[in-house]
Amino acid sequence: MKTTATTTEPRSRLSAKEASLFLATYADRLFSSGSTVIRLEKNVKRIAASLGMEADISILPHYIYLTVRDEGNRYSHTTAISIRGGGISFNINTALSRLSWDMADHKLDFEQARIALTHIATHSGALNSWLLAVLVGLANAAFCRLFGGDFVAMGIIFVSTFAGYLIKQLLMERKVDYRLVVMLCSFVSSVLSSADGLFHLGTTPGQTIATSVLYLVPGIPFINSFCDMIDRHYICAFSRLTDAIVITCCMSAGLLGGMLLMHEGMF
Amino acid sequence: MLKCFGIRTLFKLIIRFLIVELLMILEFLQDALFAAVAAIGFAAISCPPKQAYPYCALIAAISHSFRFLLMQNDYFQLHIVVATTFASLLTGVLAVILSSRPRVPAETFLYPSLLPMIPGIYAYKTFGALVMCLYHGTENAFGHYFYLFTSNGMTCFFILTGMAIGATVPIFLMKRISFQATRG
Repeated sequence: MKTTATTTEPRSRLSAKEASLFLATYADRLFSSGSTVIRLEKNVKRIAASLGMEADISILPHYIYLTVRDEGNRYSHTTAISIRGGGISFNINTALSRLSWDMADHKLDFEQARIALTHIATHSGALNSWLLAVLVGLANAAFCRLFGGDFVAMGIIFVSTFAGYLIKQLLMERKVDYRLVVMLCSFVSSVLSSADGLFHLGTTPGQTIATSVLYLVPGIPFINSFCDMIDRHYICAFSRLTDAIVITCCMSAGLLGGMLLMHEGMF
Repeated sequence: MLKCFGIRTLFKLIIRFLIVELLMILEFLQDALFAAVAAIGFAAISCPPKQAYPYCALIAAISHSFRFLLMQNDYFQLHIVVATTFASLLTGVLAVILSSRPRVPAETFLYPSLLPMIPGIYAYKTFGALVMCLYHGTENAFGHYFYLFTSNGMTCFFILTGMAIGATVPIFLMKRISFQATRG
């Protein structure tokens, strides 16, 4: 984290520097948890106002720049924080949004908020790995049915998604590059789901293959990028959109690899 | 005799109508049920607060079956792009309105509820046609697969655009509710 101060400040009350450091950490956590820029901006400004300050925020693909000014613009402090990234968590997103309102409504003072921020950042609310893999498997099987797949296809999709998602979690724990993870999981799921067509198990092998990799679709970055675009945060919107497109390409490459290996025709 | 025949025909017609309607209702309920299951599973990926799960299922079931109704009914059949846009708009409105009950941001409901409407088959066909274009060098075969690539690709693109715009516009139209939902 880099910081620059414009002037020396009095020590008695909350300084612009302290507020700036707190808000930069808050902004990083909120952005990393999958928040839209408009929500991030509103929450940061709300907290700054509750501290009797003003904040301006600028988001670049890898950094957040945050300038906090105190009342009367006598002191200001700019913090640049690199975006930590990590998994999307609406549990954190919700808790951080509530924190901003609790500060605005003066239910929490600055020290309590600082403790709460540390606590929230470590509680992503993620489910147990096995349970999560089962839920995603069931979801993708239901998805397959919505696309017209038969019950055999649903069973195959459940198995291929369950396996793919377990591998995804395993590789993510080992900090493997996410793009490579998506490619590998897509490959594994498509190879497993090609069993439907290969062994003539069901009547809808096309739907099975097509649905097998959809649990890897980067839906939240896509939706967030549109949200940012509507709010005219074009740099962030295009950065998120590019990320989502790259992930989709990796997913497609894995699918193609799986289909080529299993000699699965497309039409 | 005539009276008896008339009653029998009428009875048969009513039975046939009821069977058709029942099948339609069953298909409609099945659509809602699978959309709800898909929403719960995909919601789990984004780690929402526990109280958000029932809302995700409810919104997905309503919006997906609404799209089903718009596309398959006896009076009018909307194109998938238009139907998806309207269904996504409904998703967005429901997400914003319901978000203040469990005190979560509206976006928490959006992705899992929208996912069952993602044009997976169109995307798959687009991708498949592109690969086949590269495989087949002859003009006729290339032309055929290029046609499949563009038609499926355009449908996929417009469905996605309609979905994204339809779902996000309510957040901006109802800013007051959207950004105060998490207030205690």
